[in-house]
Amino acid sequence: MSDLKIINLVKNFQGMDRPAVNNVNLDINSGELVAFLGPSGCGKTTILKMITGLFDPDNGDITLDDKTLLTTPTEKRGVVMVFQNYLLFPYMNVNENVGFALKMKGIEQSIIDTKVREMLDLVKLPDIGLRKPKQLSGGQQQRVALARALIATPRLLLLDEPLSNLDAHLRDEMRELIVTIQKKLNVTTIFVTHDQEEAVLLADKIALIFEGKLQNYTSPKNYYERPKNTKAAKFFGGVNFIKTKKNNNQLESELGNLIYDGNNLDELEIENIVTIRPENIKISDKDEYDHNSFKGLIKSVIFSGTHTRYKILIKNIELECSLQSVGINNIKENDEIYVHLPKNKIWGMND
Amino acid sequence: MNSNLKKINIYAIYLGAIILILPLIAFFINAFSFRWFYPQVIPKELSLQAWVRLKLIPKSGQRSFEGFIDLWASNPAVIKALINSLTIGFLVTVVSIIIALPAARVLGLLNFRFKKLIIFIMVSPTILPPIAFVLGLNINFISLGFSGSFLGVCLVHLVPIMPYVVLTMTGIFANYNPDFEHQARTLGANKTKTFFLITLPAIAPGMVVAALFAFLVSWSQYLLTFLIGAGKVMTLPLLVFSTASSGNPALTAAISIIFIFPAILILFFTSKFVSGESGATSGFGKI
Amino acid sequence: MGGERLKIILSLTPPLLIIITLFFGGILYGLLQSLGYQPAIGKYDINFSAYYNVLFSERYARMFWTGLGLNLWVSFASTFLAAVFALFAALAIRKTFFAKTICNFIYSLNLPMPHLVVAVGMIFVFSQSGLLARFASQLGFINSPGEFPVLVRDKYGFGIILAYIWKEAAFFFIILMSVLQSLGENFEELAQSLGANKWQRFRYVILPLVMPNLFSASIIVFAFSFGAYEVPALLGVIYPQMLPVMAFEFFLNPDLNARSEGMALSIIIALIVMVLVIIYFWLTQAKIRKD
Repeated sequence: MSDLKIINLVKNFQGMDRPAVNNVNLDINSGELVAFLGPSGCGKTTILKMITGLFDPDNGDITLDDKTLLTTPTEKRGVVMVFQNYLLFPYMNVNENVGFALKMKGIEQSIIDTKVREMLDLVKLPDIGLRKPKQLSGGQQQRVALARALIATPRLLLLDEPLSNLDAHLRDEMRELIVTIQKKLNVTTIFVTHDQEEAVLLADKIALIFEGKLQNYTSPKNYYERPKNTKAAKFFGGVNFIKTKKNNNQLESELGNLIYDGNNLDELEIENIVTIRPENIKISDKDEYDHNSFKGLIKSVIFSGTHTRYKILIKNIELECSLQSVGINNIKENDEIYVHLPKNKIWGMND
Repeated sequence: MNSNLKKINIYAIYLGAIILILPLIAFFINAFSFRWFYPQVIPKELSLQAWVRLKLIPKSGQRSFEGFIDLWASNPAVIKALINSLTIGFLVTVVSIIIALPAARVLGLLNFRFKKLIIFIMVSPTILPPIAFVLGLNINFISLGFSGSFLGVCLVHLVPIMPYVVLTMTGIFANYNPDFEHQARTLGANKTKTFFLITLPAIAPGMVVAALFAFLVSWSQYLLTFLIGAGKVMTLPLLVFSTASSGNPALTAAISIIFIFPAILILFFTSKFVSGESGATSGFGKI
Repeated sequence: MGGERLKIILSLTPPLLIIITLFFGGILYGLLQSLGYQPAIGKYDINFSAYYNVLFSERYARMFWTGLGLNLWVSFASTFLAAVFALFAALAIRKTFFAKTICNFIYSLNLPMPHLVVAVGMIFVFSQSGLLARFASQLGFINSPGEFPVLVRDKYGFGIILAYIWKEAAFFFIILMSVLQSLGENFEELAQSLGANKWQRFRYVILPLVMPNLFSASIIVFAFSFGAYEVPALLGVIYPQMLPVMAFEFFLNPDLNARSEGMALSIIIALIVMVLVIIYFWLTQAKIRKD
């Protein structure tokens, strides 16, 4: 069991006018696969490096199973990291790379050989043991790096941008592999990324970090359907933001009155912002909806493959709606259209 | 493009090459002949007399293994000088690399205030001629008791060597990725194991180049050894100089051949290294 | 970040200490002695008499200025000729021909050779009883050793120049080869396709390409040959003497005044070299600013 707790973590660097890591608190349960997501420079990799011990925090604590990590030297923490460029030791072959952690533990060579074979089978690279890293492709190197990291059953696995170096088709394979292995070995895993698609694909939960501060820590679905604030929503591709005023249990907006089904009505302030995902907006040329329905004008139609995006102007507000391209072929620019915002698909935020 | 050379240019190159190795030829003829008088171009008599006179090769009739050992054990001047040169060279090479290693790491990987100034200080012994510092240093050493001592000579040899070693190794570190070390640490390697298993193999080629530089520079020192050694520390270059001034070409040639031996060895080594990985030289641009 | 600061300071101290105490310390000590500051014998005042004596006194002035002239002549000539020789060799050798590798090897052969040995080699080849003289005699060009020109241990420093060319040409050669090999061919082919002939390619493509490296290398070679002791000590004559040899002989003179004058001379040599280096930096900076 490896529960990781990050408590009030603070890190400052010379030359930065704000803390690189600003009072971050996070609890990660054993066996979870968590993403640290944020734009470049937000501090996510710094947090990772403090967990491995490359840096010491200026304040706060990091505990694993309720014991602090900060007084333990890196090699004894049981926290293993896989870097973005894999860092396979160039002077050793694959077998020696993979077996490295066991060799450091002083385990007998014959046992190491067996375990190395097991790990290479696990990552589906059974025959490359004698090759040198420079003879391997990018995808192969990554799998070897993964095998090397997991061979000594670490308490915590850290991955730095695991999918960003791979082509699209390799990405899917790698994603399968990481998720399968992670669940099989039940090792608590954190990975760092700036790509929200990658985070959504892999993670059980996503910690969103902006400028050193933790914004939100919840499931990927919630970031889409129930984002915490506009910034978070925008990071995940949200584009529809409507200013509203709370009035009992309804929301008044420029569009009109909105009926709201969300369970956070009590936390919403009088003035708030409502958002809805483009794929959740329904449109029709007939007035067939029983609530939250408004008449608008199609401003533009943008075909993007599997989906088609419609920009719709209602009074002074522009909304974007995204529908599957199949089946819709008669909506054109300047058509009048009825727009429906389902009451259980709109979400209110305080900023 | 016509990448083949015109005949006349080829012959010019050959001529140049022959002219360039003329001295070498002259060395070998001088060293292995007896009474090679003007105007002979080809010596009338080949012999090992120079080597016998230098007590490096026993007289004929005593050229068994024991003969060689006995002869060298009698401590002829050339053997003494050779051992001194080798010992000093080895010592200053090892010491300079150990001292330079942490400094090179810091200079190659980090940025800090005064870095440019510090690099300038490190490199300055290569800019100004040795005569500028060795005279003053000699007087200092005399009062400190280093004059005429083996240690004093080693110390003064460090001065021309340190810049080369520091610079070469800094180039190596500029090309080095320290993340490998952290990777090894997370896999359970402590700091010592990380150094020997990860860092050392990566910097070893550059270290070898630096060591060869250092050794050669120490090996070739004349002025510094002559002045600080005060006649009590005899190295090969001093012997070459005094024999050359005395005028016996055969002896001079023989000693010179011993003297250039490491240089030839190093030439073979470095052509293997320099044509292959040039981490040392390419890293310079990053400083 | 105190820990990191400390680590940096500790790492840099040993080599810095050695260089500062031995090198700069030696120079400082020599400077002080040359200015008459010898606490050991109770002289605390500073005067420039040693410098004056070296530069202007009747005893030494002529020696000094001829020596300086000789120094400059030797350094210029050897640097220039070595560079030219190496340039043509490098230009020719980069193309393919029979025995190219061997020639490449031979032209860089002298690089690790100690200067002393090269100097001795000059004696063996160019002296009046050397290899060349013997060839000349065998071929009937001369009848006695005295007819062969004095090329080593001569008043004009020819032997010294030859020795420096021998060794430094290898240095230039290696630098030029690496520059030409990494950059030269593409540019040259391009120029050729644009219609440039051989001379134009040389003047407008090759020369500008190698000039920066050639220039830096030349400064290094010049500064070195200006201040070096070994080769002129072996191949020079009593008069005129090159400055480093002069300085050394003054220094060994038991007369304490002569010792100060030797130190003064060595400082003068160092100053001249420093001025050259500064001019070099100034020139390269000016060039960068111009670009």
